[in-house]
Amino acid sequence: MTLSFTNADWSAILPVEIVAAAGLAVLLADLFSGRKQWRYVSIAIGLLGVVAAGIVAGRQFGHDYDAFFGGFMTGGFATVFEEIVLVGTAGSLLLYGSIGPAGRVAGTTAIMLWSACGAMLMAGAANLIAIFLGLELLSLGLYALCASVDRKTARESALKYLILSSTATAFLLFGAALLFGATGSVMLADFVNPSLASSPIFWMGAGMFLIGLVFKLSLVPFHTWTPDVFEGAPLPVTAFMSVVTKAGALAVFARFTYDALPPGLSAKLLLPVWIVAAISMIVGNVGMLAQVDLKRLLAYSGIAQIGYIVVALAGGTSLGLRYAIYYLTAYAFMNLGAFAVAASISGSDEDGSRLSSYRGLGRRRPWLAAAMTIFLLALSGLPPTAGFLGKILILAVTVANGYIWLAAALIVGTAISLYAYAKVIRAMYAPEEAPRGGDLRPFVPLAWASAALCAAVVIAMTFYPLTPSNVLPLVR
Amino acid sequence: MPLVLVSILLPIVAGALLVLLPRGDRVLSRAIGTVVAAITFGTVLAAGTGDWSVRWLSRPFESAFHFGATPISYWIALLLALCTACAVAACRVERTRDFVALLLALEGTMLGLFLARDLLVFALFWDLMLVPVFFALIGWGEHPATAWRYFIFNFAGGLTLLLATAAFGIIYGSTDVIGRGGAPLAGGWAPWIYAGFAFAFLVKTPVWPLHTWMPPTYSGLPSPMVSVISGVQSKAGLYGFLVIATALLPAYVHQYATPLMVLGGISLIYGAVVALTQNDAKRIVAYSSLSHLGLIVIAIASANPLALDGALVYIVAHGLFSAALFLLLGYVEEREGTRALPRLGGLAWMNPRLGGALCIAALAALGLPGLAGFAGELLILIGVYQAGYIWPVIVALVAIVLASAYMLRLYQNIMNGPQREDLPIRPDLTWLEGLAVAPLLAALLLVGVFPKPLLNNAATTSVQSGTLP
Repeated sequence: MTLSFTNADWSAILPVEIVAAAGLAVLLADLFSGRKQWRYVSIAIGLLGVVAAGIVAGRQFGHDYDAFFGGFMTGGFATVFEEIVLVGTAGSLLLYGSIGPAGRVAGTTAIMLWSACGAMLMAGAANLIAIFLGLELLSLGLYALCASVDRKTARESALKYLILSSTATAFLLFGAALLFGATGSVMLADFVNPSLASSPIFWMGAGMFLIGLVFKLSLVPFHTWTPDVFEGAPLPVTAFMSVVTKAGALAVFARFTYDALPPGLSAKLLLPVWIVAAISMIVGNVGMLAQVDLKRLLAYSGIAQIGYIVVALAGGTSLGLRYAIYYLTAYAFMNLGAFAVAASISGSDEDGSRLSSYRGLGRRRPWLAAAMTIFLLALSGLPPTAGFLGKILILAVTVANGYIWLAAALIVGTAISLYAYAKVIRAMYAPEEAPRGGDLRPFVPLAWASAALCAAVVIAMTFYPLTPSNVLPLVR
Repeated sequence: MPLVLVSILLPIVAGALLVLLPRGDRVLSRAIGTVVAAITFGTVLAAGTGDWSVRWLSRPFESAFHFGATPISYWIALLLALCTACAVAACRVERTRDFVALLLALEGTMLGLFLARDLLVFALFWDLMLVPVFFALIGWGEHPATAWRYFIFNFAGGLTLLLATAAFGIIYGSTDVIGRGGAPLAGGWAPWIYAGFAFAFLVKTPVWPLHTWMPPTYSGLPSPMVSVISGVQSKAGLYGFLVIATALLPAYVHQYATPLMVLGGISLIYGAVVALTQNDAKRIVAYSSLSHLGLIVIAIASANPLALDGALVYIVAHGLFSAALFLLLGYVEEREGTRALPRLGGLAWMNPRLGGALCIAALAALGLPGLAGFAGELLILIGVYQAGYIWPVIVALVAIVLASAYMLRLYQNIMNGPQREDLPIRPDLTWLEGLAVAPLLAALLLVGVFPKPLLNNAATTSVQSGTLP
């Protein structure tokens, strides 16, 4: 068989190519900037690429095509996850406008765009090689991004992420090798073979593959890296990791569990995953209670939130997937919004991520405090936000699929989380909380705009719950 | 725009727009707030049973933003609008502008709750109405822990409500069911759904032993906010029992009648006894609320049509007199700087109008014939007896006797006796202060002598499905 790719193959990954080219363009433009760095030019080119890719990806929606011999599948599922990745990337790039390392923004912007390419590949990947390619592209960029500021915690964060993430990748890769050994194929489509259900090698392979994914999703017990890495990384990178990495991993997870397991096997094989998700909802929310740093708080929060999303996938229904996507989208906007507020009140040392900086914010910056309140309400699942509707949709589909115990764990976890989120609201508004000393930054246009946009979306999604209908992951 | 939607959005939008006023404003925000609340009262009155609906979800179950008053909620919505107007008019706290904004937001969210005809919208507003109170507790509360207790207790209730709503929607296929009757649910998960609803409603009401958030909340907040919370927000749980638990899951009303009555009975006696021993005037009224609402829980659990009618009358009556009591105790506290009974006394000499108003409110609370409280109590007692439950009637009679004791103790300790030397002498109620409580007292008298419009509503709406005796 000769491998020859057609134009249709290349146009299937056009969004990825556009984002990659935007990364190159950012670097090229920076060559002309000379001594004075063009921070806003880099961000503008990056955003332009992201928006263009978003439009192109949107036009692919609904056109199922099997590019690269089944390596990359366009259509509803890939498009939706690509769009979420692009939203996360755009939101993180905007944060570079208000904060960011003292060094060149161009380099970090370009790396972030290339990392996003990896996540977009994961969204459409339908064979083991493409999955691995996407994952590595995403992770390699992140190692550099974590270390992109000159700070001890950042270097620590990068090293931790490098070592632990490599371990997870090793699991994933070994699992992939075993899957290949059991089936003789790297195509996910070939795993849907009833005779595999009794193959121990396939079991082991699928298990290790899932462990690698669960690590990337940062579910308990593979979650301990998240708070440390999030805390040390620069603010835009933390925002990027909290949304884009998880979206990419979730896309692979959904495709693998929905369509790549032999019938009859998935209930048994995936039970540990649901248990892990239930524990994550509790542990993540309990872990939040004692945090004094916003990035750590959101890291623990993310552990629980991904737990909610994975719960929606239990049972493998198309409705469950739609609500998982709805919640993931909402989560992206809540998180990006919260990070945008943090960026708006941060000085060069990212003090906006310390919870003590939020004391008295309600008086000094009422609009930012109001936006932050909306994001915190959304994260805790209170109306009038998408977090509320997302929770009830997930609860409904979980109950409908017969996983009452998962719904109960979700309820308990949410009840615990309220204190952690409301504590921040209290710090912003309680009159006895003395505002932190020093001057706050004046109006920061990009971050303020991004916070306002996120707040508007989070509220609007409650009243117009758009969940795309044909998003079933396909492998053939 | 339909009037029912106007009544919900107007207070919320107006409250949000108040932030355009200067931060230190006291007079203008209060005036605007009072006018807005009065207009809202008018729109609720005019909207009547008008209906408005727009599709929200079609999967996993049908749901709509469906608003409109049921015969029960019409009266509670009117009560809410009246209480809020009075509370805003009586509002004299620091940072008035923000406080009035929160009061209006609270009114709008609670109107959304009572006017919702969809279970999911009901659940949305159930959680939403906690937020303004939480903000009031962190901004104006006496103790930080109170805010947590209020929020976490009620949020936990909201979550079980959410889970029950989701399960109900999945099984029934639609949540657009409030006040609609339709086929009741039974079997399978239905008992658990009933339990989920009941937990949320019992926390909110509250009944013993889920009441521990209530006394600190009622005593720690400024009076105007408390008068709305105690007067109306506490009725959200009872309203839920009437139109959701009883109407949609009638099969379990009888099954769970005894445990509910036991909880209600314990609340009745426990609240009354603790009210007798308290020295904080606001806490006396708080525990008396626990006691009075226990009686309504018993009435609803009996599912007797007469008792259900009595429950609605008593819901309105309790809303009126507890709102009036809290507002008047707020006046007392403003004047004398304390609300501890041992430090107060003899106020009626210099403040006859304040004394007279407190007297009427206290008499309504202890169930004097001619005032609203009596009409409700009598109907409930007859209805519960009719339904064949004897012991709750006996318990209720004991509690009603105790009510006379603690209410008279409250009144006497504040108003009667010799004038205290160490208390500052303050002028009597101004006409504005009087005007703020007068509508509540007038309504107490009106409902007391003419409760007819409130009758035949609760029973018909709540037991529409026809499975109850």
